[in-house]
Amino acid sequence: MVEISKHNQKKMDPLLSVKNLKVHFPIRKPSLFGGESLSVKAVDGITFDLRSGETVGLVGESGCGKSTTGLAILRMLNVSEGDINFDGENISNFSPSQMRPIRKSMQMIFQDPFASLNPRMKVRDLVGEPLIAHNMTTNKADYVEQVDQLLDMVGLNPKMAKRYPHEFSGGQRQRIGIARAVAVRPKLIICDEPVSALDVSIQAQVINLLEELQDTIGMAYLFIAHDLAVVRHISDRVAVMYLGRIVEVATRDELYNNPKHPYTQSLLKAIPVPDPKLEASRAHFALQGEVPSPLNPPTGCHFHPRCPNATDICRSVSPVLGKIEAGHTVSCHLFETTNLSMNTDQGQVIQNDKKVPERGVA
Amino acid sequence: MTDQPLLSVKDLHTQFRTDEGIIKAVDGVSFDIKRGETVAIVGESGSGKSITAMSILGLIPNPPGEIVSGEILFEGKDLIQASESELRNIRGNDISMIFQEPMTSLNPSLTIGKQLAEPIVVHTKLNWKEALKKAIGFLGKVQIADAENRIKEHPHQFSGGMRQRVMIAMGLGCEPKLIIADEPTTALDVTVQAQILELLKDLTRNNDTSLLLITHDLGVVARYAERVNVMYAGRIVESGSVMDVFHNPQHPYTKGLLASIPRMDQDAGDKLVPIIGSPPDLSMLPTGCAFHPRCPVKTEECTRAVPPLKKVGPYHHKACWING
Repeated sequence: MVEISKHNQKKMDPLLSVKNLKVHFPIRKPSLFGGESLSVKAVDGITFDLRSGETVGLVGESGCGKSTTGLAILRMLNVSEGDINFDGENISNFSPSQMRPIRKSMQMIFQDPFASLNPRMKVRDLVGEPLIAHNMTTNKADYVEQVDQLLDMVGLNPKMAKRYPHEFSGGQRQRIGIARAVAVRPKLIICDEPVSALDVSIQAQVINLLEELQDTIGMAYLFIAHDLAVVRHISDRVAVMYLGRIVEVATRDELYNNPKHPYTQSLLKAIPVPDPKLEASRAHFALQGEVPSPLNPPTGCHFHPRCPNATDICRSVSPVLGKIEAGHTVSCHLFETTNLSMNTDQGQVIQNDKKVPERGVA
Repeated sequence: MTDQPLLSVKDLHTQFRTDEGIIKAVDGVSFDIKRGETVAIVGESGSGKSITAMSILGLIPNPPGEIVSGEILFEGKDLIQASESELRNIRGNDISMIFQEPMTSLNPSLTIGKQLAEPIVVHTKLNWKEALKKAIGFLGKVQIADAENRIKEHPHQFSGGMRQRVMIAMGLGCEPKLIIADEPTTALDVTVQAQILELLKDLTRNNDTSLLLITHDLGVVARYAERVNVMYAGRIVESGSVMDVFHNPQHPYTKGLLASIPRMDQDAGDKLVPIIGSPPDLSMLPTGCAFHPRCPVKTEECTRAVPPLKKVGPYHHKACWING
């Protein structure tokens, strides 16, 4: 599982290590007269690592728990079970006040550049707010200079610092959101669908900016998105989620060229490619059914009702994420995997095999 | 393929009066759709693709909107000159529309059956009982299981993909000659998107129905359309067969779009080449070609006059002053 990405020369220990993370939202408590408690298992035992400077893509369809995972890591949601180790500390049970200093190292970029900026604040204050919150500026002149530098860094003219968000286009607003996130020089940025609200011709600008900033600042990205082409472009490694669980993790090229899990395979087949010649030669096959409700997930493998290859064991036993080859783990009964699970619970455990990577720069 | 097109839009101008002045949402758009053909309109938000569709169906709210000039010939009849009752007859009977939002385009307080049967009762001579029977058949066609019972349910009991199937069933209800699908799958997940588009493809091919597919997704166009019109700021900037437009793009905007999207069929490490700037504000359009502020090959001429759509191949057109 260990892959060295472009920035990861110094540390082998993961920056972020998520172990058996569960986020359940209770929706009904047992009453005085009995009855069962009911909860939405948005994230149901996921495990993955993210190293310094690395970009891990988290993909899946709506409701699979990818955004909940991001929010739980930032501890904007409470963790029901499991561990989140970030930069050497287990933050899964940190209080909001304990989290405050941690957030200097962990920032977020949101999907909607229209809703995520306070319309009453000027751009200078929006971008400078994190600097003040984390005591990173001493006086007014320094503050203005730092903000101007940040604006310049994200491709906005510092002269625009006195304007309000509504004076900017969607792409420019997303740049403001990015400047806010990088202001405190975090080690990790969680990007939750950062380009999906933008026009097609603008998306490339923002993706390129994210890549350039990673080259200069060196932070890691957890890149949450449903667009597999975008994720393929930006990620070093990719984790695929389905109904609260990770079904497959692999290096980018391995996942896209050699997908193993039937869900990953059908997801990749479902995406139309902007090439009519290629499309004419491709077999079009649509996965049947829809993602079931996380309130009442299927037994065994969550994917079995839609899986073309499901067998009896898939209907009864939850598969465990296991290694099929270096840098490629899958959670599926169809494959002989080396079971890496040491945690008995869900078995959703990936372990690092300390091997030196073959893959070069993204 | 020499017979007259099913739909022929000629020099359509649709404008909106707003506080910022007149917005030319559709500014001289012309295109044809033949029987049984799937034609796509692609463009970003504000390019005028949805307004074009709404103009065809006479659904432009007036005021503030108005079709100022042009012709929309459906089987030779100009829909712009048609009376409201003629239009109502054509909508649903001959042309139907599938909207983007399956969540908001169904009435939450009526059963699925009632909503499906209503257009049948309105447009045919069938009574409610017969119409409901027909509705059950439609649900079966769009692959909704247990249709007899599900027509008694309300929209909230259906998932997003199923609601869009209901919309398609409704659109197919009167066996229209043309279906206009405005971003039919944008609100849906990838795997469900594939199901819905495959379904639409099968249903239109089997009945020789024409499909006008409006989308921003170039992949969807490449997979499902035969011809494509690329729109930018209210005008068609390039049109042709999907092969021509995707494999031999002529307009700098089309070229730019194809270079800027991350593609599954290319090397993952390739750097994206973005189009600089952002789409223009329609109330303050640049002079000349609307794309010129973002165009890498613009000349003096581009800032002065709007380029007309010119032939660059047998069925391939572009609106650009630059040659080659």
